[in-house]
Amino acid sequence: MKYVSFASSIHDLGLLKEQNHDEVILSHRDFSRLGKLDDEGFISLSREAKKLGMRVVFEWDILMTENVFTLLASKIKTFDLHYDVLRVQDPGALEWSLHNTNKPLQFVAENANRNLEALKGWCDYIGSRLDRLVLSIELSKNTLSEFLTKLEVPCELLGLGRILLFYTPRNLLSALNEEEKLSYNQELFALGESEESPHKGFPIIENKHGTFMFHIKEFCLLEFREELKNMGLSHMRIDLRSEGLQFIKDLDNLKEVYPQDLMKGFFLVNKTDVLFPKLKNSRLQKREGNYLGEIIEVDKSNHLALLVKHPQGIRPGMDIKIIHPKGEEFFVKIHWLKNSSLNEVDHIEQNQLALIPYVGGVWVKSHLFIE
Amino acid sequence: MSSFMPEILSPAGSLDKLKVAILYGANAVYVGGQKFGLRTAAENFTMDELREGVIFAHQRGAKVYVVLNSFLHDKDLTELPEFVEFLEQIKIDAVIVSDLGVIKTVRAHSNIDIHISTQASTLNVEAAKLWKKMGATRIVLGREVSVKEAGKIKREAGIEIEMFIHGSMCMAYSGNCVISNFTQGRDSNRGGCAHSCRFEYSLDMGLDTEEKKKAFFMSSKDLEGLRVLPEFIAEEIDSLKIEGRMKSHLYAGTMSKVYSEALNYYRDHGNFLSDKLTIWEEELSKVSHRAYTKASLLEPAGDESIFNERENHTANEWQMVGSVVEVSTQGGIIIEVRNAFNQGDYLEVIPFKGDAFPLKTLEIMDLSFRPVLRTKPSTLIRLPFHENVSVHNLVRARGTK
Repeated sequence: MKYVSFASSIHDLGLLKEQNHDEVILSHRDFSRLGKLDDEGFISLSREAKKLGMRVVFEWDILMTENVFTLLASKIKTFDLHYDVLRVQDPGALEWSLHNTNKPLQFVAENANRNLEALKGWCDYIGSRLDRLVLSIELSKNTLSEFLTKLEVPCELLGLGRILLFYTPRNLLSALNEEEKLSYNQELFALGESEESPHKGFPIIENKHGTFMFHIKEFCLLEFREELKNMGLSHMRIDLRSEGLQFIKDLDNLKEVYPQDLMKGFFLVNKTDVLFPKLKNSRLQKREGNYLGEIIEVDKSNHLALLVKHPQGIRPGMDIKIIHPKGEEFFVKIHWLKNSSLNEVDHIEQNQLALIPYVGGVWVKSHLFIE
Repeated sequence: MSSFMPEILSPAGSLDKLKVAILYGANAVYVGGQKFGLRTAAENFTMDELREGVIFAHQRGAKVYVVLNSFLHDKDLTELPEFVEFLEQIKIDAVIVSDLGVIKTVRAHSNIDIHISTQASTLNVEAAKLWKKMGATRIVLGREVSVKEAGKIKREAGIEIEMFIHGSMCMAYSGNCVISNFTQGRDSNRGGCAHSCRFEYSLDMGLDTEEKKKAFFMSSKDLEGLRVLPEFIAEEIDSLKIEGRMKSHLYAGTMSKVYSEALNYYRDHGNFLSDKLTIWEEELSKVSHRAYTKASLLEPAGDESIFNERENHTANEWQMVGSVVEVSTQGGIIIEVRNAFNQGDYLEVIPFKGDAFPLKTLEIMDLSFRPVLRTKPSTLIRLPFHENVSVHNLVRARGTK
């Protein structure tokens, strides 16, 4: 397994070379979410990296509406000689790169792409041009293990770095500061604290591409390096852009000296869907088959009213089950049936109002089923 | 006069809302089954309800699209083929997806049209071309795209384009926010969004003062594109989508009615130069909403698009007091009451077509013909017969408590 990292200076390149990195990601400020290099800076750093025998990855990871895209697609051609591999995230950048460059492509599949079918689909589509897939940090260990076994392409995962929570093209920090508007290539920074969460100190950055919010803790899988290597992970990304590249010198002991709190995210297990059943009353979701309707009025000692939902309607003499929203069940026979004019009838059709005898304990929103 | 007319696509969080949206003028609705969508907390549709909804819609010339736009994991994908085959069997008109794995599964098990969800944040011509090659028949563009850019995407990619015209907005690029995942343990891209962007944040901006700025800085105003309709038509945007499967019957009905009436007016007159424009805007303002913005429809959304307020109701807001469940000359109008009102209160009926009209409340009776002075929610009441009132009409009142 190889490490890959970002550099923004010649000093950074030296540090990476000392650690035997043979690849470096360079982030141009027009193309990368957090890029800082201008044209000249990018080109000179690229030259230095090549002198050191490193492969240069051009990071093009911003999302772009058509007007921005058109500008950047024409500009990127001027860098053709200064990078070896193109790293893209916007599907438009991928499509354009496939047809307008000959470079190998690294595809950032960190958003969506939580299933093997999708990842295989990208591999098939990009074909021999695919240099590497960048996988999501939300994949659990078990899922990663399966994917890495079945994907026949090199894969990369974040090993250390900030967790991006939120990305908008809107300028959210400068909007709060009437006096000081963001000038071109300037960056604003804030630490945010949410009223709804005990977490304090979300790093927030605004730059020309919009506003980015990160988790208060950084993501770290360094202790699982051996395990990930054995699973078949080909590259681990070490993103030290927040705290400085000097920490790359000693990854083994980084946790003891690193100034940020670290977390494993969902690496051990991803249970972010287990709360879903609690978001609504599951007792009221089973409206299939013999579902007769929902109680819309309870008139104590007189009637229960429902809108009939069953295609065959409702008849007196039917045995029915009523499920209370809290789960209690009532089994009753319909002794009489009335229409909205309060006349007793022997049938009421679907989508009509029906009245049946009152049943103690039954509330509005209870569901009725034919037994 | 333009012969091109976009489709009005309304949200339907339940079968009842589907009927309301279509009766009030929607050309199409989008709905969710019990799984695979992004509105886990919505009532959503059972298989039987989907079947009935499609029949109801098709009988009235409307279309039904089913959302499968959650970021599905492998275990979810195993359950998808059976559902997709069912959807094809009941003749739904398209599915809305955001993931390549889902596209492949839908393609492998059906010939249903595929719309790429806004969750995929498709923003440019090249991305649209890519999804078209993958089998998509329509792109729901990201809300950051302007109408002009959308027109170019349609022309150059040669694919149907859908854009949001109204409703709540994610501040983030859709599909690019995972605040809920990491702070609440709920996957926002699988239906668990906790709306963290709507909360207040204290911001330490490194200023000289100790004071932190308090702001709802990630909360977006709501999109409202009524006056942008001429641009949508000029660029031949195929479908105009109204956000809000979690929202009320009143919302589904009002939005469907206003936007379809506005489009019909344009079709008949070739312009919107009408007194009706202020009436339509008034109608939009009567439904619960945050302050409105055109967001990025005309130019990239600026500072004024940020809501920066705690959620509350607007002063001009009306509430739905009920919906009509039955009408007859003998039994009168039977209303399922949602919000209480008193005898003598001013109510309005929103007809499927035409202006709202007052409904007398001098004689209110319960279902057993007993007089009622103050109605209660979750009861049925009778009002005297009115020939212009129909089943499924919505009844509203100003500021009902």
